[in-house]
Amino acid sequence: MKSFPVHRNTLVLFAVLFLLAVFGWAGWANWEYRQQTADRRAALAALQSEADMQGVLVPDAEGASPATSALDGTAAPAFTLPDLEGKEISLASYRGKALLINFWATWCGPCKIETPWLVELRNKYAAQGFEVLGIDTEGDDAQPGDVAWARDKTDVTKFVQQEKMPYPVLVDGDSISKPYGGLDDLPTSFFVDRQGKIIAAQVGINSESDIEANIKKALAE
Amino acid sequence: MGDFEKKDVKKMIDLRKVAGVGVAALLMNAGAHAQFISNAPQRSAAVKAEAVQYLYPEQVNLPAGKASAVTLHFRVAQGLHINSHTPSDDYLIPTTFSISAGAGARLESAIYPAGITIALPADPETKLSVYTGEFTIETRLVAAPGNHLVKGALHYQACNQTQCMPPKTITVAIDVIGK
Repeated sequence: MKSFPVHRNTLVLFAVLFLLAVFGWAGWANWEYRQQTADRRAALAALQSEADMQGVLVPDAEGASPATSALDGTAAPAFTLPDLEGKEISLASYRGKALLINFWATWCGPCKIETPWLVELRNKYAAQGFEVLGIDTEGDDAQPGDVAWARDKTDVTKFVQQEKMPYPVLVDGDSISKPYGGLDDLPTSFFVDRQGKIIAAQVGINSESDIEANIKKALAE
Repeated sequence: MGDFEKKDVKKMIDLRKVAGVGVAALLMNAGAHAQFISNAPQRSAAVKAEAVQYLYPEQVNLPAGKASAVTLHFRVAQGLHINSHTPSDDYLIPTTFSISAGAGARLESAIYPAGITIALPADPETKLSVYTGEFTIETRLVAAPGNHLVKGALHYQACNQTQCMPPKTITVAIDVIGK
């Protein structure tokens, strides 16, 4: 009977040591899991941050709005862009005409709605010295020689033929997006008077009558 | 009390100390776990509004090598719409989801929801097939064994009722655990 307490104590000691080992292992496993999860979450957060950086500001859901940017009242930023035949066309060559510089894209539904209005108004006021410059702005940063560039050009040509656009259509509007305020939303139109000054701007479509009013204003100034 | 019994008592006291250390270790372990749970970071809301936001799942456990259903949830910002996977006209850009090769998971298939039909105020007669609000894509993914940070891509083009934004591709980050 004397040896029993020793035996019991030994068992207790082993039990405690076992529990300590279990706790120790659990603690290590927990720490490792936390480290792995933290690493994964950090990577996810980095990706999410990257996605946020790529995010775009949501335009005003209420609809079209005048682009009352710093460009109003200033000279239209100069540019030279190729047309569909590859001929370089410069803004300066239109000095003396009232212009509607219309940035659009083949994937843009509102642009497609607006185009027949522009065709009609261009034909109506051309004799008074008015012209439309359509500038395709696909937003994909395609470069000459790229597959995307060729596809864009094919799509633009098809669009121009479908819509029977009688005015010059230039491509690679993305290259001049910065001086024209970023062109985050399409269509974006700038109305330019005969002196080359921007007298009004419009982001999104509104109505044909509003466009016509700005054309008359550009012709009058 | 004899010497032997005194030794037993001393041993018992030592054992109590050992047991006390064990209990303390247990409490510390539990405390650390509780702290981990309470401080678990959540997906932060986007600082600025995006046209489309990926919602969840952030992490999935899948049987390795076997195609498994994963439903991806997205939200289109209020006031905007994006083209459905089957837009109403050729010139419109469809919404598509993809996963690049070697990402740790393969996209076997994706089933897109049918779009809702809308018309823009400026052209009521032209019907558009679009997604608005929240929508889901039913995918079947085949995960490779192990943990993988899979970067899927959702390509879309968003508009409101009067204007459109350029086509965009957002990263869809999913922590895929293949077991």
